[in-house]
Amino acid sequence: MSDCETSDEYIKERIQNIVVFMCNECGQGSANTAGVARMSYDAAIRIIRVQCTGQIGPIQITDALNNGADAVACVGCCLGACHFFNGNILSMHRIKLMKKLFKELGYSDQFVNQYTSRAAEGETSVGDFEDIIDRLTTAIISKGTIKDGC
Amino acid sequence: MDVKVFQFNGCNKCYNETLLLKEDSEYSIKFISDPKSWKEEKVNVSVITGYIVPDDLKQLSKIKANSEKVIAYGSCASTGGVYALANQKGHNVTPLQNLIEDSQNIKGCLGEIEELKLAIDGKEVPKLKNLCEVCSRRATCEYLDEIKRQIELDDSGTCFNDLGFLCSGFIAKECKEKCIDYNTPCRGCKPSIDRSGIRMLGLFGTLAGNIEIATEHSVKGATDKLADEDDDLTDGLPDIVGNFFRFTLPTSGLPKGRIPSSGTLLEDLFIGRLIEEVPLISGLLGGSKSISLTLKFIESYEKANEIKVSEQVKKFRSELLKLEDELQNAIDKEDSTKYKEVTEKIRKIAGNMNLSNLFFSGFKTKINDSDDFDDYKTHIFEIVEETYKNGSVEYKIDSDGILTEIKIKEGLV
Repeated sequence: MSDCETSDEYIKERIQNIVVFMCNECGQGSANTAGVARMSYDAAIRIIRVQCTGQIGPIQITDALNNGADAVACVGCCLGACHFFNGNILSMHRIKLMKKLFKELGYSDQFVNQYTSRAAEGETSVGDFEDIIDRLTTAIISKGTIKDGC
Repeated sequence: MDVKVFQFNGCNKCYNETLLLKEDSEYSIKFISDPKSWKEEKVNVSVITGYIVPDDLKQLSKIKANSEKVIAYGSCASTGGVYALANQKGHNVTPLQNLIEDSQNIKGCLGEIEELKLAIDGKEVPKLKNLCEVCSRRATCEYLDEIKRQIELDDSGTCFNDLGFLCSGFIAKECKEKCIDYNTPCRGCKPSIDRSGIRMLGLFGTLAGNIEIATEHSVKGATDKLADEDDDLTDGLPDIVGNFFRFTLPTSGLPKGRIPSSGTLLEDLFIGRLIEEVPLISGLLGGSKSISLTLKFIESYEKANEIKVSEQVKKFRSELLKLEDELQNAIDKEDSTKYKEVTEKIRKIAGNMNLSNLFFSGFKTKINDSDDFDDYKTHIFEIVEETYKNGSVEYKIDSDGILTEIKIKEGLV
């Protein structure tokens, strides 16, 4: 691996596309609330609305990463509050396995994550977005992302 | 029809299996074990066996330019195979389709000779059922309560996955080797869909929906999020790459591994694997030494941990070793009738050519109908952290049963 500089500008340049799958209920609801309250978040966040995070699994995550995403995250309902049955828990299991898989291949496990949010509170999803960017920054500094190299 | 079989690197199990093509008199068949020294000539059909690295491109383009049809036979040539597990440590095992265009794939470890015959004749390979459709076990598809790494072999009617024992039959086609018939879960050498490992991983994640996972409070979001620490789910699956991507790592769409390499390709593919999976992997590596290599792994562990082995087991094992020599003789003489005879005998004891029936302390299924199975039945064994040594094989396992160091003196590669 080459020695890359990890200045703030470099990191900012590297964070271009973050795919966030948000569930139609709490996740997207929270993002809507944040929009109404005119909260701002990083421009690199690309939201994809899905019915339930239970639809997201390893296939969607690798597709996103292979097509240029720097990080992938899911935002679903709070634990025990899935509007269907247990979709958020199921996708957490799959994402946990993906994290383990990337670790086994020698990458950082910080660029794949699952969060929860509350539809009534916009700051929960905006906080999640900030956390995603923080973690991706750690991954870039430790040279653990897939698109590593200068 | 003029057929040439080229053996590239690694295991020569599929290469040996092509001896059976000789039984058909309509082919004029020639075996080339060293493609580098091959003098170019026109060929109708070229069959490629063994694993391929990008350095082989020069020979492969020569073969491609001179043949009407190129067939990748077996898992190694078509999807990367078991040797591609070394890609986790930065090696570069590549399936044939990534290097040359318009090649036909016969998947499976071992590839099926009937399918190869059909492909050579230019006929269509029949559509096969899913493995679960022909499996004698029945699934309930309920969420698992725990993941098990070893099971007692009492229940032969329930799906392995329902027992908490990972099986990739969902994404596999029916096959001749059929490890599931010998109490060995499928690892998907003959995938029925693209990116099979990734799909199986998603499915298993769903099945494990009842298992506790670690969550933590996210400070920024003020809600719960998935935690980074280990939990029951990750502890139950210490080796995801080896279990889900055993045959398809280069075609899975995952990035190439960056774990530092610590030796030869053969040693790299073993490091990180689980001790209970090692006999299955060494059985797959084939070549002329697969039986003795597998038995060396098993016997060194049994000896060090004082696992009792019955006389009957010893008898079967020595019989297998004798058969290994006979098999080598048949291959040296290119005698297809003898080859068929000996492989049938090996299949009788070891289940299939991947040696699915062999395990620590005995065998997984009944070999002869008249035998008392309790005499040589395997049982759950304890994992002991230590260095094990037997002749040319030396390996070290940690407290989770993961291989951390290995040395194989007489190499297969």
